Amino acid sequence: MSETTSTPPRASTPQRSSAPPPKESPNSPKIDPIYYFFLFPALLAFTLAITVPAIVGFGYSFTNSIGFGDWEFTGIRNYIAVFRDEGIVGAYLFTLGFALVTVIITNAIAFFLALGLTARIRFQRTLRTVFVLPMVISGIIIAYVFKFLFSNTVPAIAQTLGIDALSQSILANENLAWIALVIVHAWSTIPPALLIYIAGLVTVPEEVYEAASIDGASPASKLWHITLPLVSGYVVINTILGFKGYLNAYDIVVGLTDGGPGVATRTVAMSIIRGFEGGDFGYQMANAAVFFVISIIIAIFQLRLTRGKASFGS
Amino acid sequence: MSPSPLSRLQTSRRGLLAAGGALAATGLAGCGASGRKDVTFYQSKREIFDHIKMLLAELDAAQPQYRYVHDVASNLSAGFARRNPPDVALQNYNLEMSRFRERGGLSDLSDMEEASRIRDDIKDLADWYPPYPGRTSVLPWSVAGAAVIYNRAIFDEHGLSVPTTWSEFTALCTELQDAGVTPIYGTFADAWTLNQGMFDYTLGGMIDVRTFYEQVTEIGEEVGPNAEHSFSKDWQEPIARMLELLPFHQDDAPARTYNEGNTAMANGEAAMLLQGPWALPEIAKAETGAEMGMFPLPVTEDPADLKIRVNIDLALWIPEAADQPEGARELVKFFMQPEVQDTYNVDFLYLGTTKDAPPATDPRIVEMQSYYDEARYYMGASQFIPNTIPWANYLQAIVFGEKPETMLARLDSDWASLAYRA
Repeated sequence: MSETTSTPPRASTPQRSSAPPPKESPNSPKIDPIYYFFLFPALLAFTLAITVPAIVGFGYSFTNSIGFGDWEFTGIRNYIAVFRDEGIVGAYLFTLGFALVTVIITNAIAFFLALGLTARIRFQRTLRTVFVLPMVISGIIIAYVFKFLFSNTVPAIAQTLGIDALSQSILANENLAWIALVIVHAWSTIPPALLIYIAGLVTVPEEVYEAASIDGASPASKLWHITLPLVSGYVVINTILGFKGYLNAYDIVVGLTDGGPGVATRTVAMSIIRGFEGGDFGYQMANAAVFFVISIIIAIFQLRLTRGKASFGS
Repeated sequence: MSPSPLSRLQTSRRGLLAAGGALAATGLAGCGASGRKDVTFYQSKREIFDHIKMLLAELDAAQPQYRYVHDVASNLSAGFARRNPPDVALQNYNLEMSRFRERGGLSDLSDMEEASRIRDDIKDLADWYPPYPGRTSVLPWSVAGAAVIYNRAIFDEHGLSVPTTWSEFTALCTELQDAGVTPIYGTFADAWTLNQGMFDYTLGGMIDVRTFYEQVTEIGEEVGPNAEHSFSKDWQEPIARMLELLPFHQDDAPARTYNEGNTAMANGEAAMLLQGPWALPEIAKAETGAEMGMFPLPVTEDPADLKIRVNIDLALWIPEAADQPEGARELVKFFMQPEVQDTYNVDFLYLGTTKDAPPATDPRIVEMQSYYDEARYYMGASQFIPNTIPWANYLQAIVFGEKPETMLARLDSDWASLAYRA
């Protein structure tokens, strides 16, 4: 991440600055082997649990394996079938659109909440805790609670108030169910984004604002010309992490809409996992490989777009 | 860092070591002292955990050789993939399970006396899914007979009798509607309930499910609008009939779920529910005393066409790769004893699978027995579509207003794609 930024994230961690990292210091001749020792277990675990299975799985994407028993090589048939599969192409389009909308909404709300929560307000600590609470609840539980709200509470309120448009559950509406997904994902993922923004905003030194005030800058232009440029690095982090998370949306989708109504909200991760369960191992491995490549392309694109422009505080 | 987390870490590490030691000690003791071999028994049907636990305790006490470990959570596919499946299982027998059998993952039980006690037509029922040649790999243990669940009191109140033809059925629904009663309670939010209910009942009543799947499997890659048989062609008529049922459901059916349907039935909010026998104990849980019965959904004008939907609710099987095949067979013998098997089927409202199984007497399912004995049944058409094709979702889309032709064409192309890459 650091190579994409113009300044190292020094300012965000002032407490730990007492021990300078030896890697960055040009005149430290030897690197203490203890660092490798620290890295090794994680590297080993990652290799065994992620890299090796991924490579093996990639191999299976050229077979008709059901994950068990005999299999035969089928060449690139699975890949051809993936691109011909209306359901899978639909899932890609839905997932990309959904991730895009959600990442924008989540970041906008989280950013303005962070502005509010770093300002000198009453009950700042209490409010911060309240806003971060959704983070500790597991996705599937959130999904079930919201499912109840959307299919019972919201229609009941709408009926009392005479709002016809909302008197039927939006989860049962093919054209609106995605909105429910965006709302619930935003609700549950605003906290981590919020925390990162708060961390970013506290690094902007007060003097800059004072200087701006002396020059007569309005609050809006302070936000636009000072705050945003100085925390742009955090925006990048949140967008990339958020986008990646929404691309993999699974648990909330399963709990809330189960890909429905119809196939209106079926995500890529869902088709992959459902396929595995249905014994379509080789085929969904091909799908997963395609998904992996697409995710990488998106990440590279995001990094390119922001290279050299991101800043982490002053 | 302040010292307190560090010291906490140390205590916890010490605690962990102690716990680990204790665990190892008990593990060794469990193995050494009793000298019993562990047999893993897989069974994941939640509603019957307590019952199964009780049976296992009984079996443990009855013999000194084996200790049966009740596995309720492992992933079966992963277990088979790692060549480490359970030793024996009592599990729902469906298309996903049948894969393990088709690829030779399940051992032959034909030499067991228990296998010969199973009704021939029920043995054959297991073969609706692709079998492994020359093996009796699964012993059906309980069969679910599903149809239309109806509230007897509501029927009596309106002087209605069980309909045997489509026109009688629609007349009955209209009559109920005119009297201000919701005829059928819909739970469309749970797509599987559409599959199991209105879809399977209409399809099963109008086409020969087994033959149809043999045909489309044969045609394979070529399934589509121009093929001799296809989903778009053969299902068009049944789906149209199924959609005629929609106006008889309550208005908020698209937002209601399976559990809500059971509660609504218990509270007499609707006269009928298209569900299986598993819903009956759930309805009874509300303790409203509402009396239920079941009848097959008539979808034609000929009462001779009436059939019920069956599926193998539970079957016993032993994987080829079982570590303890002998212990596993002991369990199979124990579970196949009439007093064990029949008690379960009576208590949980399922139909017996053996030649000497007593007929169902519970008033809620008693009407199913004659259909079952006369082989007037079909397996649900939805039960032959692999999970990888989201048919339940397609069906839900149709019920919510999508054109059936669009979704059936999609099913055709999914089916063809599956054959293409097989």
